Amino acid sequence: MSNPRLAVDLGAGLRLQNPVLPASGCFGVEMATLVDLNALGALVPKTIFYGARAGNPSPRLAETPAGMLNSVGIPSRGIDHFLQHILPAYRRFRPPTIVSIGGLSIREYWDLAARLNGVPGVAGLELNVSCPNLEAGGLEIGASPENVAEVVYGVVQRFDGPVIAKLTPNVTRINDIALAAEEAGATAISAINTFVAMAIDVRARRPLTGTPTAGISGPAIKPMALRMVWETARTVRVPVIGMGGISNAQDALEFILAGATAVAIGTANFTRPTAMYDTIAGLRRYLAEEGVADVRELVGALRYEAFGPAAPVDAPSAYGPPEAETPPGQAARLSGTPGSGHDD
Amino acid sequence: MSDFPAGIALTAIGERAGALPAPHFAAAEITAQQEIAPEHYLMRLRDARVARGAPGQFVMLKPTRAADLHPVLPRPMAVYRYLPASNEFEIVYRVIGTGTRVMSERAAGEIAELVGPVGQPFRLADALDGLLVVGRGIGVCSLTAAAEAAAARGARVYAVVSARRPDALIGLDLFAALGAQVFAVTDAEGTSDPARVAEHLLPLLRLGRVQQVFVCGANRLIELAARLAAPHGVEVQVSLEAHMACGIGYCHGCSHGAVGESEEAPLVCREGPVFRANRRPPPTLDGRALQAAAHD
Repeated sequence: MSNPRLAVDLGAGLRLQNPVLPASGCFGVEMATLVDLNALGALVPKTIFYGARAGNPSPRLAETPAGMLNSVGIPSRGIDHFLQHILPAYRRFRPPTIVSIGGLSIREYWDLAARLNGVPGVAGLELNVSCPNLEAGGLEIGASPENVAEVVYGVVQRFDGPVIAKLTPNVTRINDIALAAEEAGATAISAINTFVAMAIDVRARRPLTGTPTAGISGPAIKPMALRMVWETARTVRVPVIGMGGISNAQDALEFILAGATAVAIGTANFTRPTAMYDTIAGLRRYLAEEGVADVRELVGALRYEAFGPAAPVDAPSAYGPPEAETPPGQAARLSGTPGSGHDD
Repeated sequence: MSDFPAGIALTAIGERAGALPAPHFAAAEITAQQEIAPEHYLMRLRDARVARGAPGQFVMLKPTRAADLHPVLPRPMAVYRYLPASNEFEIVYRVIGTGTRVMSERAAGEIAELVGPVGQPFRLADALDGLLVVGRGIGVCSLTAAAEAAAARGARVYAVVSARRPDALIGLDLFAALGAQVFAVTDAEGTSDPARVAEHLLPLLRLGRVQQVFVCGANRLIELAARLAAPHGVEVQVSLEAHMACGIGYCHGCSHGAVGESEEAPLVCREGPVFRANRRPPPTLDGRALQAAAHD
């Protein structure tokens, strides 16, 4: 098992040489001076809007234990600037570029999809319906199954290729949103974006960020992200890209076992620009050590005991094992904690 | 561009002619670490590329060991001194939180990961007889490498070094070694308010002793220098501080100052940290400029 297979398929023709990609907003081709971008599963630029927007006032960053707050608010120079100046820089690299698009209105997503359809170098779209730092749109769109479905449906009508809906965790039941996106035509789901959060300077009696609330990311949110990815992956049939505090191969494997076909790394790129490479190397090592020939064998391979109601009355089951799962009493054991990613 | 501090316009300094070394990600050996003042540490690291950076540039230093995930962000650290002969450079930092506390506990021989060198450097004038640097607190660390470069070209260096207490004055030894004229001012001694600092600046400006003023560490010192230097045609460059995540321009976390309708304020990591500082333009018929000028 010296050369395990890492390639994954995210549907609609989006094939990745390995399941590790950057999370939008935590990556740019500027990183090419630091690391080899051709080793990644895909490239994901920062979210763009149709027109130019400044983003939020400073300070835009603050730190909390094992976490980072950002209130950047997606500054963007607009679609024309993106097509002329940013996308060409991404075309120089081999991995597919998934373009992340945002909007203050449902229509803005549709207009962006139309402009990006058929453009060379655009391998797919990720719909950022989950930024918590916008003055409009944002959670009004992302927390509503109806609005998310409308965004996705309109985009799918206008864009011939993979369409990934990136979901917010700031909802009671993420599977409702995921299912709405899938039914509207999303070919994959990204979960999750940042949690709405806050930190306060008690001397100044002011928020630590320029807007009172901000989005939190980093290891602090990983257990919550993992739970939501697990619920999402159990609900939808399309592939799920898991993200939220993933920093190393151990984290990535947790998300894959929970049902993610691929994983995105965000804040850890700041902590250590090689985080994505270390994760790929750690995955390879784990597969070899565990005698697993293909990473796809691990997707959703979590063993666990059933608990809670087998089928909630009004929704697809979020709890209880799916059919043809390991019989109760035999499971609930994650063997061979790899510890990889921590030993570089 | 930016309207901060009030009454001062900051403009991007532009790409420097002549190539700067591209930033890289490196595991740099810590070759020395010592406490130089209460809560203040000097760390020397070995990295050949950073050691060939330019005055005013900085590194993004991961304070913790390689696999540690808390705190999550690297720290922007100005290069205090370049030691290219030994492929080393120095930073000076104050312990103010978890990250800098962990940094202070690292020992010589350990590895510190970093991204650098990054940022736009100070621009020393071609014909430079005298350089005035004005720094407060740990901000002095952004000015020392520029002072060394100016002295190496034969320019006379004048340094206003400000701090809360005399034991927190940074860089006095370094400036002394350059033969600089040093004005040490502190809050504790009541000598650091702008009116008192102006007494040191004005003679140098009036007598034409300096052609450039570099400032870091306090907005009121930036404002003071820009205001006093303007009538004498002396250029003011400032180095700004900001919270940063990536340090190379893609995260947009360090955008500085107020935002416009659609144009983002400059990024401190990429367009800065060094900016030119000018008094706001003279009043015109444009209402906004008149209003801004009224704040002067």
